[in-house]
Amino acid sequence: MIKNFIISGAGGQGVLSLGIALANIFILADKYVSFCPCYGAEMRGGAVNCEINMSDNELFILQNSKADFVVAMNQLSFDKFISKVKENGTIIVNSSLAEIKKTRDDIKYIFMPLTQEALKLGNVKTANSIALGILSGLVGNILFDNVKKIFEKALKNKKELLQKNLDAYLLGFKYIQEKECI
Amino acid sequence: MQVYSTPKSIKKDSKFTFCPGCDHGLAIKLTAEVIDELNLREKTLAVASSGCSVFLYNFLDVDCIESPHGRAAAVATGAKRAFRAQNKDRFVFTYQGDGDFASIGLGESLHSALRGENISIICINNTNYGMTGGQMGPTSTIGQITTTSPLGRNKNYHGFPIKAAEHIALCEGTAFSARCTLYDIKNIINTKKQIKRAFDCQLKGLGFSFVEILSSCPTNWKLSPKDAHKKIENELSKIYPIGIFKDISND
Amino acid sequence: MSEKQLLKGNIAIAKAALKAGCKCYFGYPITPQSEIGEFLSLEMQQKNLGYVCAESEIGAINMALGAVAAGAKAMVSSSSCAVSLMQETLSYAASDELPIVLVNVMRAGPGQGYIYPSQGDYNQAVIGGGNGDYHTIVLSPSSVEECALMTYQAFYLSQKYRNPVILLVDGFLGQMAEAVEIKENPYPEIDNSSWCLQGADNRPSRKIHSLEPNQDKLNQHIINLNKKYHTIEQAEADYESYYCDDADIIITAFGSMARITKAICNHYKKRGIKIGLLRPKTLWPFPYQKLRELSKKTKIFIDIEMNSGQMLKDVKLSIRDDASISFIGKPVGDFLKFEEITYAIDNIIKESNLASL
Repeated sequence: MIKNFIISGAGGQGVLSLGIALANIFILADKYVSFCPCYGAEMRGGAVNCEINMSDNELFILQNSKADFVVAMNQLSFDKFISKVKENGTIIVNSSLAEIKKTRDDIKYIFMPLTQEALKLGNVKTANSIALGILSGLVGNILFDNVKKIFEKALKNKKELLQKNLDAYLLGFKYIQEKECI
Repeated sequence: MQVYSTPKSIKKDSKFTFCPGCDHGLAIKLTAEVIDELNLREKTLAVASSGCSVFLYNFLDVDCIESPHGRAAAVATGAKRAFRAQNKDRFVFTYQGDGDFASIGLGESLHSALRGENISIICINNTNYGMTGGQMGPTSTIGQITTTSPLGRNKNYHGFPIKAAEHIALCEGTAFSARCTLYDIKNIINTKKQIKRAFDCQLKGLGFSFVEILSSCPTNWKLSPKDAHKKIENELSKIYPIGIFKDISND
Repeated sequence: MSEKQLLKGNIAIAKAALKAGCKCYFGYPITPQSEIGEFLSLEMQQKNLGYVCAESEIGAINMALGAVAAGAKAMVSSSSCAVSLMQETLSYAASDELPIVLVNVMRAGPGQGYIYPSQGDYNQAVIGGGNGDYHTIVLSPSSVEECALMTYQAFYLSQKYRNPVILLVDGFLGQMAEAVEIKENPYPEIDNSSWCLQGADNRPSRKIHSLEPNQDKLNQHIINLNKKYHTIEQAEADYESYYCDDADIIITAFGSMARITKAICNHYKKRGIKIGLLRPKTLWPFPYQKLRELSKKTKIFIDIEMNSGQMLKDVKLSIRDDASISFIGKPVGDFLKFEEITYAIDNIIKESNLASL
């Protein structure tokens, strides 16, 4: 089984951290993983995206034309990457920063106001963790213990931030599970 | 009673191949004497560079590497750092011409001084590119006639020469910077003293040490060896003053 | 829990260099390789090793020249246009027989180009950008794991043959991360006490120089170097062969470009067309002989590169007139996609007599 992911947004939105966390989750599940970042010359505010590939076998294709799952954290990346979603694939859109609009009928849209939800949780920087929760719910078979391990490693001494990110992750994860049940 | 013997650090049976009256031979001999006196022969790595100075390795009986043109300070930096990384206490110095040190290699030279690399540099300033036939160099003086400034160096057309010892003295990493010359016995003795001071700075771990030796190039100056030394005494030492520009070893 | 960690190619190289016993690193920042210097800056300072943020790439490689002459393993890393600045000293190091390890994490050129992926420095590395009759050993990794393994190999071969080694890494590979385990250095230590310059203590003084005014001596020096190069060509040419036996078509590709071609081979296998991949792991020495053998059986070769066809001429030299050769390439940008390559290969198949398959 091979699954491809594209995470996109603006610099500072935690796009790469989200990609790295996802890749690490797969590593803990003993998968073959590749992570390819792509960003402009700007250190902050520029367009950022990364591609994560996960497979049970050795990975040969590291850059794909299309992905099974796309996360778009803002309007610019929504516009840019909507065409990169595979048929029957899924796009997760941060509707706080992008217009709710469906231009394709061969894919699944998940709109969620990630920025607003993160603000409600008390830290706008947790928006990416909500998205990670949604992705985990969609991919399935992801152990929460592993997610916790990765968050703990990434946020070593920042206990408060760690809890907020775990809350954010669970918010996304539960949201998608409830939605899928319906 | 023996009154003179060749320094131990000069290779046996080696004959200097420099032009008659050139100061390189004397500068190398003085360097060798200092190496002997400080007992450095067995722990020294000398870095020669391009130009007449490169032949150092044919005369000096210490381990020697030739660096690409201008990069002696970088090569010495790497060697000194490597010795430290291997826990080896070794002495590293470069022997360069003024074109090598202050023109093509100015970046490497200046940055070694700025970083305060614990190395020593001897720079032979003979105000031209000697080996290639006496072209205008970074130190050629205003009015000096060379093969590429046949009408004399013109400050408006060619620009100004560099005073290396004064520039190096401005660097915070510099422990010692001096200029000396070799036109008479007094100055020869002084030159040896300055080389020894510079080497001492490295042995004490004080940082970058630099000795610029204002030297004659009779062949390219088209002067007899005697007149060449007179030119240094009467003209060049006025433009390039002899002296110590920085010395932190007594602080 | 596996020992694997998510590592960028650049970091894998830096970690392996330390494990290989690299005592000194000199560098100057340039994208896409700056992580190597960033990582080593802390590690080397903490371990009391030699690290200098050099004033320029010229300074950096000359520091490495001094460091290896002083007997320490030393590495420099840079990228394309800045590697151009190092060519003079690389030529000196080849003549001086000094084992510098140079990592070139390629970006697009010519000139400053940009940080887009490209394999445009094949010629610079393999033919050499410096002056004179010399060769540098060139290793080409195709995965993050191989970045680490080939860093070990680079140090080993450089010491074994007293020759500079270039690790030629796709910028994409330097930047991308994979799940890898940094294994231990598998190579033995090589004694360098017979030539390095650590002071003439209880032995005659030594000199290392490339200048040689005596023409007979200079001539003999180059003849000796070439004997060494011949030995290296015989012993070290290395490649990966993927389904090459009885292949109808053989693809040649190096570095990360070779990764995707494996998927291409698998794709055509399902369609009943046997396509193999021959990936040179050493670009110099180039595996001429293996390709020569393959060209006796397989009659269609396709060379795929992220440049305008630089390795192509070496493939042509190998197969001569015994097989046909096509080229699929793109100089700069995102790597050729699976669909783009299969489209081109389908056309080649149509034009060949394999169409009946």
